[in-house]
Amino acid sequence: MERKWDYKTSLWVDWCPGCGNFGILTAVVKAFEELGLDPSKTVIVSGIGCSSKIPHFVNVNGVHTLHGRAIPFAMGIKLANPELTVIVHGGDGDLLGIGAGHFVALGRRNLDIVVIMHNNGVYGLTKGQASPTLPLGVKTKALAKPNIQQAVNPILLALASGYTFVARGYAFESTHLKNLIKMAIKHRGAAFIDVLQPCITFNDVFTAEFYRKAIYKLDDDPSWDPVVRKPEEAREKLLKSIEKSLEWGDRIPIGVFYVNEYVLTFEERLNKRLYKYPAINPSNAAIEINGKSILSQQEFEELFKDYIVVVER
Amino acid sequence: MFVLKEIGIILGGPQGAGLETSMAILGRALTRKGYGVIADREYFSNITGRHSYIHMLISSTKLPRSLGYPVEILASIDAETVFTHFKDVAEKGVVIYDKNQLDKNIDNVPSMEDYTRERIKIILARLGVNPTIENIVSYLEKERNVVPIEIDFISIIRKITERFKIDPRQASRYVSGLIVSAISIVIGLEEKFVRYGFEQQFRERRHLIEHNMALYELVYDSIATFRNIVKVDAPRIALNKLMILTGNDAIAIAKIIAGVRYQSYYPITPAADESFTIEKYEYNEVNGKAVGPIVVMQTEDEIAAICSAIGASLSGSRSSTATSGPGFDLMVEGISFAGANEVPVVITYYQRGGPSTGQPTRGSQSDLMNAVFAAHGEFTRVVLSSGDHVEAFHDTVEAFNIAEKYQVPVIHLLDKFLANMIASVPVPDIDRVKIERGKIVFSRSNYKRFDLSNLISPRAYLGADNIVMWHSGDEHDEYGHIVEDPENRLKMYSKRIEKMKLVLEETPSDIKMGVYGDKNPDYIIVGWGSVKGVALDAIEMLGDRIKLCYINMKLLWPFPQKEFLEIVKDIPRDRIIAVEHSHGVNIASLIAMSTGITIDRKIAKFTGRPITLNEFIEAIEKIVYRNEKRVVLAYGA
Repeated sequence: MERKWDYKTSLWVDWCPGCGNFGILTAVVKAFEELGLDPSKTVIVSGIGCSSKIPHFVNVNGVHTLHGRAIPFAMGIKLANPELTVIVHGGDGDLLGIGAGHFVALGRRNLDIVVIMHNNGVYGLTKGQASPTLPLGVKTKALAKPNIQQAVNPILLALASGYTFVARGYAFESTHLKNLIKMAIKHRGAAFIDVLQPCITFNDVFTAEFYRKAIYKLDDDPSWDPVVRKPEEAREKLLKSIEKSLEWGDRIPIGVFYVNEYVLTFEERLNKRLYKYPAINPSNAAIEINGKSILSQQEFEELFKDYIVVVER
Repeated sequence: MFVLKEIGIILGGPQGAGLETSMAILGRALTRKGYGVIADREYFSNITGRHSYIHMLISSTKLPRSLGYPVEILASIDAETVFTHFKDVAEKGVVIYDKNQLDKNIDNVPSMEDYTRERIKIILARLGVNPTIENIVSYLEKERNVVPIEIDFISIIRKITERFKIDPRQASRYVSGLIVSAISIVIGLEEKFVRYGFEQQFRERRHLIEHNMALYELVYDSIATFRNIVKVDAPRIALNKLMILTGNDAIAIAKIIAGVRYQSYYPITPAADESFTIEKYEYNEVNGKAVGPIVVMQTEDEIAAICSAIGASLSGSRSSTATSGPGFDLMVEGISFAGANEVPVVITYYQRGGPSTGQPTRGSQSDLMNAVFAAHGEFTRVVLSSGDHVEAFHDTVEAFNIAEKYQVPVIHLLDKFLANMIASVPVPDIDRVKIERGKIVFSRSNYKRFDLSNLISPRAYLGADNIVMWHSGDEHDEYGHIVEDPENRLKMYSKRIEKMKLVLEETPSDIKMGVYGDKNPDYIIVGWGSVKGVALDAIEMLGDRIKLCYINMKLLWPFPQKEFLEIVKDIPRDRIIAVEHSHGVNIASLIAMSTGITIDRKIAKFTGRPITLNEFIEAIEKIVYRNEKRVVLAYGA
């Protein structure tokens, strides 16, 4: 009997004991198991920071890249081989600070990639500086002075950028988060999950205790339906999710904010221009025959005839 | 009337007047007749109004490699062109100008920079010429025996717009056809070739062919007496088929043939046109063979351009990006990642004038050190340069072979001169194209991406069956997991650097450098990239007086020390001259650090304009006959 694939590597996980990342890792592994993802056709791409070490702990392909740049690496990987399931992991500093431009660009493209943001409000590996999601005036214990910059709203930014699946999870609601990850992977198009994550070492304001009291599930309200079920509903559903995204403080919603599968994915847009894409794509298109050009001299001259001039004697 | 083997032309006018179109039409028409053509395009960072010009050389005997002054024909669309270039017209040459501009004073040319205006006014004052077109034309005619050819642009174009019922607001579109017609008539290019030029240019807007041919006839009637006045000799080049294209196009075509299937870019001069051309050919079938699909991705910045190209390479696509200095600077961290993770990727780097935004539309070779040394940490990279369009074509293919064989980033270092210059060149020999993808594994259990048993670890693409692997910008073990152990660090770090030796051992000598000219020279000139054409013409022209040889350095990094030392072993050190479009002539520093040879004779040009033959010859003479050490060139408007 074939042994079941172990989606966890044997490496020691070097996060602080009690770190929210453990909850996220558990949810990711469980989601992959339940979806039965082929590990060789799955790629986790991460940036830099505590959270971005996650590819080393998951037994699928991992590409641990540069600070803020996980999304462009993931884009190249996915566009060249659209058969791959590509999941980006990064922190809030990574994705919304140094990499904010790429975060917005992925939404515009609606490429079929999942972005899971480990949102802890601080830059952990560099000892707790304020991140782009830490609200104005908050002073966590590592900060010498209260935060002088405002927070960006990740859900609102994702909606404005054009992500077609937008959700929020909580690191220690592992089953709920696992389900969000499964939905995001199955979604066609750019998916974003903002995962609230306590940083046990540096964020003494947005703690597990704080979140335990504040969070509630959108699903608890039976009338909440974030899915665009016909194209003309898109505006109304978007407005509702925008309104919902503004809730913060005593009551913080988790769950799915918005889903719209009527927007063409980038792969579909390319398909309209590139014959047979994504079936034939940059990773499998023939580019040589026995080490020679696929075109003969004559075929080369035919293809580039616009540049060729035959001399008229 | 006199007949010449070669004719130089300056064709100038305001940016947006269609000079690039004129260049393309003339280039094709002349090539059709069998002439060799080369043309540089000089322009401001501006969409409409600033002075731009084409500097062209037509040869009846060879495919030209360089440009020079003076020129036989100054063809002007506006007054600014005459003011800017009148001094560059040869004795007995021709000036073509618009009759309606005759009374234009240089003070009434708002598009001209004040600095330029003052400089020209001083020159005119010294000559005792009032700064109007009428006075300059009369000066050229009387003092320099230049033939003035006056055309009434407004009246001719009005006839066309009336005859074909064209909206007068579109009249300016016909200026490019008018000037092409005038030049053709003056040099004796037959009507059928002019027609061919228009037909090729306006393939998709066929009505414009008819309009422009009618225009040609009107211009003909207007200046018929000047037909053949500076006639170029009948062509005697033994080639029946040529390509005429810019450097950007040559490289785009080479990338398609090399198998690039992912190209990323962020818009920047002078690199963006390359990506445009690739996109035009994103999918084609020839004889039922698919060429493509090629994903051409305009990214949000150059950081995304390099990072996504690296990503595409991890998935198994031959991938590349094209940029210029400012964009390259943003890519540097990505290049360091490619070095650390042994990812093949090609960065086509067209240098322009820096620092900062510098001179965005002018050329330079001032980024040699940037290409060779930018990025933190030590790792193997390859920097390759090309001296002309044909070299650039084959080197592009080679850049991908090197990148994939050694799993390294390759920087193909070019410049704006090559990017924008059109040249007629022989059709590349496709049999010469070799595609080598290096060691690849398609399926293996317990695969180690960074296997240390060899300098080159067999590469697997993401998605390969039964393979799971990791990459990390952090120092990593053979599997790609983060490891900070000192012994692993020693092995892994050294492996990535020692690959450099393989590049040096295995790269064929013609990819490393080309040596031209005298086998037993008095002086050796060393340069790279766009210096080649002008250097080869100069050593030929000086050949009967000074025995010269030119080393065209191509593999700039790792520097081919052994081969270089072999070539210069018999020459005294003070008889080596380094040439570069930069202030520092930095190739000399690279040679010094790589070979210990110090070169203190230098020719530098950093005005953003290409080195011309006349000034290059003078510079060599200054060094050889007057023992000058450093010559700084500045010719050209």
